Formats: sequence, C-alpha cells, structure tokens
Amino acid sequence: MTPGDIRISAEPIDSGRCKFLVSEQLHGGGVRRFASRDEAQGSPLAEAIFAIPGADVVEVIVSGNLVTVVKQSPAPWPVVGKAVGQAIRAALAGDRPAVAAKPAPAAGASATADDVLYERVADLFDQQVNPMVARHGGRVELIDVQDAVVMVRMAGGCQGCGMADVTLRQGIEAMLHQHVPEVRGVVDITDHAAGSNPYFAAAKK
Amino acid sequence: MPRLLLLLPTATYRTAAFVEAARRLGVELTVASERPSTFQAANPTGLMTLDLAHPERAAEQAREFARVYPLAGVVGVDDDTAVVAAAIAGALGVRGNPVAATEAARDKYEQRELLSAARVPVPRFALHRVNEDPRGIAGRVPYPCVVKPLRLSASRGVMRADTPAQFVAAFGRLRRILAEPDVAACGEPARRILVEEFVPGAEIALEGLMVDGGLRVLALFDKPDPLDGPYFEETIYVTPSRLPSDAQRALAICAERAALALGLVQGPVHAELRYNERGAWLIELAARPIGGRCTGALRFGTGDSGLGDGASLEEIILRHALGLPIASLEREVCASGVMMIPVPRPGVLRQVEGVEAARAVPLVDVVDITAHPGETLVPWPEGSRYPGFIFARGPTAEGVEQALRAAHARLRFVFDSTD
Repeated sequence: MTPGDIRISAEPIDSGRCKFLVSEQLHGGGVRRFASRDEAQGSPLAEAIFAIPGADVVEVIVSGNLVTVVKQSPAPWPVVGKAVGQAIRAALAGDRPAVAAKPAPAAGASATADDVLYERVADLFDQQVNPMVARHGGRVELIDVQDAVVMVRMAGGCQGCGMADVTLRQGIEAMLHQHVPEVRGVVDITDHAAGSNPYFAAAKK
Repeated sequence: MPRLLLLLPTATYRTAAFVEAARRLGVELTVASERPSTFQAANPTGLMTLDLAHPERAAEQAREFARVYPLAGVVGVDDDTAVVAAAIAGALGVRGNPVAATEAARDKYEQRELLSAARVPVPRFALHRVNEDPRGIAGRVPYPCVVKPLRLSASRGVMRADTPAQFVAAFGRLRRILAEPDVAACGEPARRILVEEFVPGAEIALEGLMVDGGLRVLALFDKPDPLDGPYFEETIYVTPSRLPSDAQRALAICAERAALALGLVQGPVHAELRYNERGAWLIELAARPIGGRCTGALRFGTGDSGLGDGASLEEIILRHALGLPIASLEREVCASGVMMIPVPRPGVLRQVEGVEAARAVPLVDVVDITAHPGETLVPWPEGSRYPGFIFARGPTAEGVEQALRAAHARLRFVFDSTD
C-alpha cells in the first residue's frame, strides 16, 4: 500500500469539528481520545495532528478508520484538512502503530471517574435511549467515556438519518445533561455516509 | 439565552449545519419537524412536532408552545418552511416576513406576476395547465422559450425549446415529471406549467440577507459555464464575481427591487439573475439560503490572516433572526467556488475513481462524493441530485474556477455494467 492508495474523505460537522473517514484502519483497539498534546505522546497520528501549525487542535478521537478532530482556530477545514490528511498518510506509512493502545489502569486501582460515568451512561442508554431510537429502527452504541466525554456510534435507522444531529443534540445530549450532568460532551463517531437504511433519508440536492 | 425555533423538515439535508450553528451561538434551541422525534416526550422544550403543511395551524401550535417557553426567533430552512416561519413570526410578533411574501417567493408564477407588476425585469411568461394540448400553445410561444414547473427546485424539469416541435416534446416531458408521485403530492402547483421567454446572457446567483427591508449582498456568484439549455443543471459557482462593478450594482438593485416587490423584508434571499446588454433580469428569487450544500463555499468575517473566522451563512441567518449582533457580513477575502458535479449519465453507480487525485489539485479544499455505490443517478431534467460537490479557494476567481475544472477532470464515474 502506498500513501496514494489511501482514501480519506472529510466530513465537517461545524467550524470546530470534522470527521475524516480513512480507507485503512488506524486503530483497532476501540476508541482513543486525546485531549492534549501530552496525551498524544506515543501515538504518532495524534501527535502529528496536534502539531499542525495554526490549527489549534484541542481534541483528536480515533476509532477504527475514523478520525474526529476538534480545533479552536479560525482556519477553515479545507486548509486544516489537508494537513490532517498528510498526518494520516504519514502515520500509516510509519513503523509504529498510528495510535498506541489505551493504557491499562494500574493493577488494583479503583474504578476511575470515567468508568463510573460509563456505567451510568450505559444504563441510561439501555433503559431509555435505545428503547426510544428503536422505534425508528435505530440503535446508539456507547463506545467509550473519556474525560467525561461520551463517544457514541449510531446504527440502523439512525446511521445516515437526516435528523441524526437532532437526535444527538436534542435527544441524547439533552438526556445526558438531565440524568448524568457530569458528562461534559457527546461526540458522534458514526460514519453516516455509509448508512444504508436511514429512517429519514435526507435529500441530496 | 434567547430561545430559537428551528423548522427542520425531516427530509432536509441542512440539519447539521443549522443545529451546529445554533450550538455555536449558545442559544436555547427548539427543533420542530412535521413528524415527531422519539425523544420529544423526554425533551419537550427542545423538540416539537408542527403541522408544517398548514402554516396557520403550525403558527397556532407554536403560539401555544411560546406561552410556556417564550420564543425569540424562528427560522425556516427551505421554501416551504420559510412560509411556516413567516406565519409563526407573525403570530409571535418576532422578526420575520409576511406570509404572503414567502408564498409568492415559493410560487414561480405568482412571483412573476408580482415582479412584472412592479416593473422588475422578468422574462415574458404564461401559465398553462398540464392537461392542455401543447400543440395548441406552440404557435403562441416566443422562441426560444423555457418550460418549467412552479415549485420544483434545482432546475428539475426546466427545459428550453427553440421550435414548436421542441416545445411540444418539452411540455410532454415536464408533464410526465409532474406526474411522478413525489411531485404530484404537492397538489395544484404540480398541475401547472410555466412557459417563459429564454433570456440570454450570463447567469449569476446572488446570496443576500434582507435586513429591515434593505438587501445586504453577501455574495455574488458567477456561473462560468453557459446555462443555455436544453437543460439547466448547475455546475460551477465562483465568487467574487468578475462582472464589472456597474453590472454587479445593477444585479443587486434588481434583486432588492424583486425582494421588496414580493414583500420580503427580513432574512435570507437567494436570487438567480441574468445579465445582458439590456441589463439585469430577475429569473427567480427564494426566501431561503442557497441550496445544494453550497453554503459551504461561504464564510464571513475577515481577520488579518485573510481567512474567514468561521462564521457560516447559517450562523449569520440565526443571529439575524434572533436580533443578535453580527460582527461582519463581509465574506472572507479570498475567492471561493463550488462545483456541483454533473451526472455523467443515467445508471447505477458502482464507484467514483480519482477522488484522491482530484483532492490533490492545488486550491481544491474538499471533494465530497455524496452519491453512494448502488445509487441510481438520474440526469436532468428528471433528476435533481448532484452526485457530489467540489470546493476550492484561492487568491483569484480565475484560479478557483480552473482548480474546480481540473479536479472534476480527474474524476471517473464507474457504473454497473448491466446498465
């Protein structure tokens, strides 16, 4: 595989967040979220994205073949996106894994705050969120909780649904705010473009 | 923070852009659709169902809601919800357009009647029923002419005819399009056909914001590919316009006169105009922002770097609806353009090759293939869905246009061999 064989598509969510879907797997060990340059140390992909000049990247989330980048700078995604693409290609071409495995908690350590949150969020998803989206043939998977940020993946009728962002922000996020107020945010790592049976099919003009 | 009511029909492709813009503003958001969200009971202040097919009923529902949760603004995102938003704005006494103005903007015939009466330059036009015999009309039509539906968007069903024989064929073809279930569902407008003279000249798109009865031009897009028919599939939009400044002024004046003739006083407008030796002509004006995901080509506010500060068109629209301060309505300094990728031929798409090569073209920002493998692509005039979009930015409009063409030339659409 050469860097030229790697296909990357960008899916800006807003001026601060953009998903990058890569034709090759970047990280097979679940979700990794990096909220700072320090946390990115040891993961070449995240290191390179945090180092993009002028982008002011504040968060990188990697799961499978999906990279979500959060930035604070006014630089438009089309400009930053090219640098992210170069970082992805370089990381895949390197000798080391693009993303290091998530550090295991120390032996005997008690459950972390994220672990506790995970259990509460998982319970909320099981008891309330998924029964609701199931009415539209959808499913929301809790992927991980890192630094009180919940990472979800939508499936079934939710994947590619024209109203997925409404479900995420006005539904899931609102419920989390109400029932698990310690949660600081929700990140959708779904590849919506691959959704084949969305409940509401958005027009594509 | 003020509460905004955002009208999002479930079929819209604008959801994420508007919802995320509202989040950036930090406003309280209520999303209304014509079908209930499964979370509505769990979040009754953030989600509601409105009868979007009946604006007066929707306005009554919104007024009931606002008695408990006061609303500071309402925004529709397309032609139909612009009418609903106007009705709600009137019921609540918040910023908005008169209902009649948005209805006129939505209906191509009513729009031409009003514009013609106000002496805004529009093509000569006549309205016909779909069940009329086109052979009886063909002798009275000025050639070249254009046949078009009253409500469809993205130039779906719009055809040029240069001769009576072409007119008869185009009329019959549009009749078949109007009989398709998704179109026939819109009722009476699907039983009428507009026939108008073809106006030659450069076509331009104007993106604007009506502010208290005055037009603020946000962007003027050149369309460098001639739109002379027989079908009117869009391709390239590039801003800033390369037309002379007096032509640009004439186009802005024409668009403002049109908006005011319709009665539009607040909110986004998108106008399609032509410019020739006789001046500016209004082809169509809508009370909504530009479609086709093309808002992605616009960013507002400029800093020392010359880069946009990230204020999207959606954010500008929401701020205006809520009466929040808008730092700048000036578009970023650089040239920007978008190419709506043409449908190369009818068929079931297998894959698109050359995407990476297209992305590698200098100045190209994004190549977004929105068509999926297995999707049936339908060319104009029956179709209205572009298989993807190419965005580019650069120092000059010429360079941006060249980049868009170069990127498009690297794409290859592969269809199922059974087609």
